[in-house]
Amino acid sequence: MKSPRLIFEKRLTTSRTITIAVPVISLVLGFLSAAPLFLAVGVNPILAYRQVLGVFLNVDGLTESFTRGIPLLLASVGLCLPFKMNFWNIGAEGQLFMGAFGATAIVFLLPDSPAFVLLGSMMIAGFIFGGLFGLIPGYLKARLETNEVLTTLMLNFAAILWVDYLVYGPWRDPKGFGFPLTPMFPPNARLPWIPGTRIHTGLIVGLVCAGLVYVFLARTKWGYELKVTGESRLAAKYAGIDYVKLTLLAMFISGGLAGLAGMGLVSGIVLRLRHGISPGYGFSAIIIAWLARLNPLAAVPVSILFGGLLVAGDALQIGLGLAFATTSVFQALILLFVVGAEVLTRYKVALTWE
Amino acid sequence: MAFFVSLLAHTVQAGTPLLLGTVGEIYAERSGVLNLGVEGMMAMGALTAFTTSFYTGNIGLALALAMVAGALVSLVHAFLSITMRANQIVSGLAITILGLGLSGFLGKPMIGMTVPHLASFPIPILAEIPIVGPIFFSQDVLVYASILLALVLWFVLFKTRLGLNTRSVGENPAMADSLGLNVYLIRYVCVLLGGVMAGLAGAYLSLLYTPLWIEGMTAGKGWIVIALTIFATWNPLRALLGAYLFGGVIALQFRLQAIGIGTQAPQFLLMLPYLTTIVALVLISVEAVRRRMGMPAALGLPYVRGES
Amino acid sequence: MKGIVKRFPGVVANDRVDFELRAGEVHGLLGENGAGKTTLMNVLYGIHRPDEGEIYIRGEKVSIGSPREAINLGIGMVHQHFKLVEPHTVLENVLLGLKEPAFILKLKDAGDRVLEISKRYELPIDPKARIWQISMGERQRVEILKALYRGANILILDEPTSVLTPPETKELFRFIAQMAREGRSVVFITHKLDEVMAASDRVTVLRAGKNVDTLPRDQLEKSKLASMMVGREVLFTLSKSPVVAGEPALELNQITVMGDKGFPAVKNLTLTIRKGEILGVAGIAGNGQRELTEAITGMRPILSGQVRLSGKEIDRESISRRIEEGIAYIPEDRVGVAAPQGLTVAQDLVLRRYREKPFSSGVFLNQREIEKNAETLIREFKIMVSGKDALVRTLSGGNLQKLILARELSGHPKLIVAVYPTRGLDVGATEYVRSLLLKQREAGAALLMVSEDLDEILSLSDRIAVMYGGEIVGTFPASKANVEEIGLMMGGSLRKT
Repeated sequence: MKSPRLIFEKRLTTSRTITIAVPVISLVLGFLSAAPLFLAVGVNPILAYRQVLGVFLNVDGLTESFTRGIPLLLASVGLCLPFKMNFWNIGAEGQLFMGAFGATAIVFLLPDSPAFVLLGSMMIAGFIFGGLFGLIPGYLKARLETNEVLTTLMLNFAAILWVDYLVYGPWRDPKGFGFPLTPMFPPNARLPWIPGTRIHTGLIVGLVCAGLVYVFLARTKWGYELKVTGESRLAAKYAGIDYVKLTLLAMFISGGLAGLAGMGLVSGIVLRLRHGISPGYGFSAIIIAWLARLNPLAAVPVSILFGGLLVAGDALQIGLGLAFATTSVFQALILLFVVGAEVLTRYKVALTWE
Repeated sequence: MAFFVSLLAHTVQAGTPLLLGTVGEIYAERSGVLNLGVEGMMAMGALTAFTTSFYTGNIGLALALAMVAGALVSLVHAFLSITMRANQIVSGLAITILGLGLSGFLGKPMIGMTVPHLASFPIPILAEIPIVGPIFFSQDVLVYASILLALVLWFVLFKTRLGLNTRSVGENPAMADSLGLNVYLIRYVCVLLGGVMAGLAGAYLSLLYTPLWIEGMTAGKGWIVIALTIFATWNPLRALLGAYLFGGVIALQFRLQAIGIGTQAPQFLLMLPYLTTIVALVLISVEAVRRRMGMPAALGLPYVRGES
Repeated sequence: MKGIVKRFPGVVANDRVDFELRAGEVHGLLGENGAGKTTLMNVLYGIHRPDEGEIYIRGEKVSIGSPREAINLGIGMVHQHFKLVEPHTVLENVLLGLKEPAFILKLKDAGDRVLEISKRYELPIDPKARIWQISMGERQRVEILKALYRGANILILDEPTSVLTPPETKELFRFIAQMAREGRSVVFITHKLDEVMAASDRVTVLRAGKNVDTLPRDQLEKSKLASMMVGREVLFTLSKSPVVAGEPALELNQITVMGDKGFPAVKNLTLTIRKGEILGVAGIAGNGQRELTEAITGMRPILSGQVRLSGKEIDRESISRRIEEGIAYIPEDRVGVAAPQGLTVAQDLVLRRYREKPFSSGVFLNQREIEKNAETLIREFKIMVSGKDALVRTLSGGNLQKLILARELSGHPKLIVAVYPTRGLDVGATEYVRSLLLKQREAGAALLMVSEDLDEILSLSDRIAVMYGGEIVGTFPASKANVEEIGLMMGGSLRKT
């Protein structure tokens, strides 16, 4: 009886075309595979897709995509570092929350400083708080080999609960009708818009960071060390690379950039700190980093795309009555296809009958 | 005294979904496949069980379908990890996001609805024993099932051929293959078992714990399961210990809140299970040689015949 | 086996090979590394499917799709790298993969049967021992028992003596002869001429994927076999110019190094190597050589004792410091450790030296210098590769070793630690490597060479040290080497310190 068999042949080299085609195709396929789900809840998939595409086809939607994409960009760019060395930082969400916390603390401390000083300090605080928070799982793994997937994840919950404590408690806006949020940020604590647009200047920060991280990875000693460590920890040891120092550095920067994303959220979009300040940006960032194949420059368009997905999620919720979780479903499907397709970059796969 | 008894009874209940999930994950990891999608599978199991119970009122059917749901989700992970040799960590993450997302997406109409609480089933005579009785023998069906499953699956893993095969596949798949074992099949079965157990665990959450539907019901319990697997050194008996330990932390957190301790800042109590997990992981890491601890040597590595 | 063809990406491992095995025969399969011997036997054992060709067992045409089918046909294989599960017991390993006992393991009956077979063939083993507790020789016996338990009457042994002491090797050949007397057939794959000549009824030589010829016992001659293996005349000795050894370059004083299993792998070892001297460390793998080299290069911490490089104590220094001090390291594990596969050739060539001046300034890497370096080294060492930007994974075994040597030897190292430097290389590459090492010796470097290949040790070393059980059991100049004595020392039966 003939049965199908999958044959894998290891690839010795990977062509440029494959490296780009694979993520793009998986993106499209992942997207389209959501169609049956829409049918399952009684929604016409074509309407849903039209909503999503519509986001990108008008100025407001596009602006929103860019705006929502900024924290995604910062966080995903940061993730390129630990991921490159096979350190699975699933804690970007928590690091983002801590950065938001740090930035807000500065607002409480120095409410009357000139905007320049205030915003600058907020950025520094956001980076440092996120970075320090990222050092914890980094240290635990580097010194004790504690599983980083679990530690970063658990810390996410801790960070989210910590912010909850603050916004339900000591930092709650007395005029906020009991809602878990801080008072609105004064004007000097808000990121200004890029002139001519309604996108806040965080975008520039994001693009600069993407460029810096790209150079970091491609041109510096540490980028090289990250690459070698990602190939094999033993080989890295053989090369004289200090795993502890490298891990701490990568996690500090990664956490810091996620923290910066958090600062951007509170200072540029939401304009205050509140419960659920991030609807899972840290997790989306993981998917973006993976889709972008850990290339910070590629993360730029992907982040904007995912930003658009988030906007679409809102539209779908309001327009078609779908849960906001729809965006997660899209993202998850895309990721699944990417994960499966990534195999194609390492192997040539053929289906035979025998 | 009554406080302690009810606390311990609650501990057993809180620990049950953890136990179910952990035993399943132990099998998956013993066969060499890292399954990080437990949280997503639990969420799908929870939704399926809830919806089925809501529409049919049939608990048995609800549990059965929850197991099927968990199995289906795990099938995706199995296909990607085993057949397609994809990166198991990212695949598991994707499954979790998918499971969580799907349960939110499909569960929207259920928000706020309730179903009848899972009834408790006191075992005659045994339930009368002071202290031990109410804790262990006055629980619902799933609690008994979970303990039974843990014991049976422990026996299978260490005392039968199936278990030997499974453990070998996870330690040295090349060798198992060259001796004629079907590595792929064993891994598929173990991952599916993990999915079934996760689905069951999720069902327990939505049918007993909070018999009302909200998004985010699993609240990280799936991740705690993964940590527990390490903590239990991949041994279902130790999983019993670990699950109830953590169940105790969760129950304690509840009780303290109920008495009024920490109402000023309940979040710190809520952090307790997560921080405890980190502490447990650190303690385990500090302990000696991993090999003696039993981490399957081939965990997380896709198997390719002919490649070493 | 008729007309077997097996292709892998980039290479034809078996090129229309015919192979015939008679009942009750001991058949040696000879060839260099990469000749296709293991691949051919893997095809017979069902690990690979041939792209073309047919297999007949006892006259019947068969198709062997998996090891399970091979086992059912009575074929058993003992691989070079044992396929044993370390945490399991011997008995559990033997029972693995069998149909019976079906559900609950009947350990007692199986244990008795194992002991029965073990007695019959004089292969002593304790069924309850766990694999990580027993020696390599004992592990091989477990592998053999596995095959016998399943009723193998065609037994394939892949490089069986590479892990055995001389007395254990004798035992193995006695067992092989016993198998043949019973009417079973044994194929043993090797590259060792002496063995194949002593034990086989017939020898088949493979070269570059093709079957060169099959010779019966009475026509076997060492030089003839060697030239069939290599395709040309082979010299068995390498000429060496006498070099006056200088001051001590490396001094090890009473060092103890912890092994992976919880007890010391190197115990109170003292050793000195001088400049311009090659010290060959002989011994069966697993007697502490690996841990010794790891301790010297910094990959493994030292429990007690001192390590001095040109008089300076280095035992607390980091690996990067030791690289700076001029220690070159050619490790055993080429693919996993010495040359990460996903890097480009240019990147790999600076793996240990990227921190040094021309290759990086400050934080940044100097791309142009790295590329220039790569071009120079590729040319000088004649590394066959499509370009400096090719990925390391595209390199063949011999070229990979050339890359590692090019990198390690180009920095004018003071001390070179080389582990099994010519393992797996064909004769041409082997000669090249040896000449490189000799050149370094002339330039004044000190070399510590660990090898299981006595020929290699004897031909290259100025002095020889034999390791057994984590200690040095004999040191003597190469000119005074006595192969029998060395064999006894390797097996732990002789000490000459």
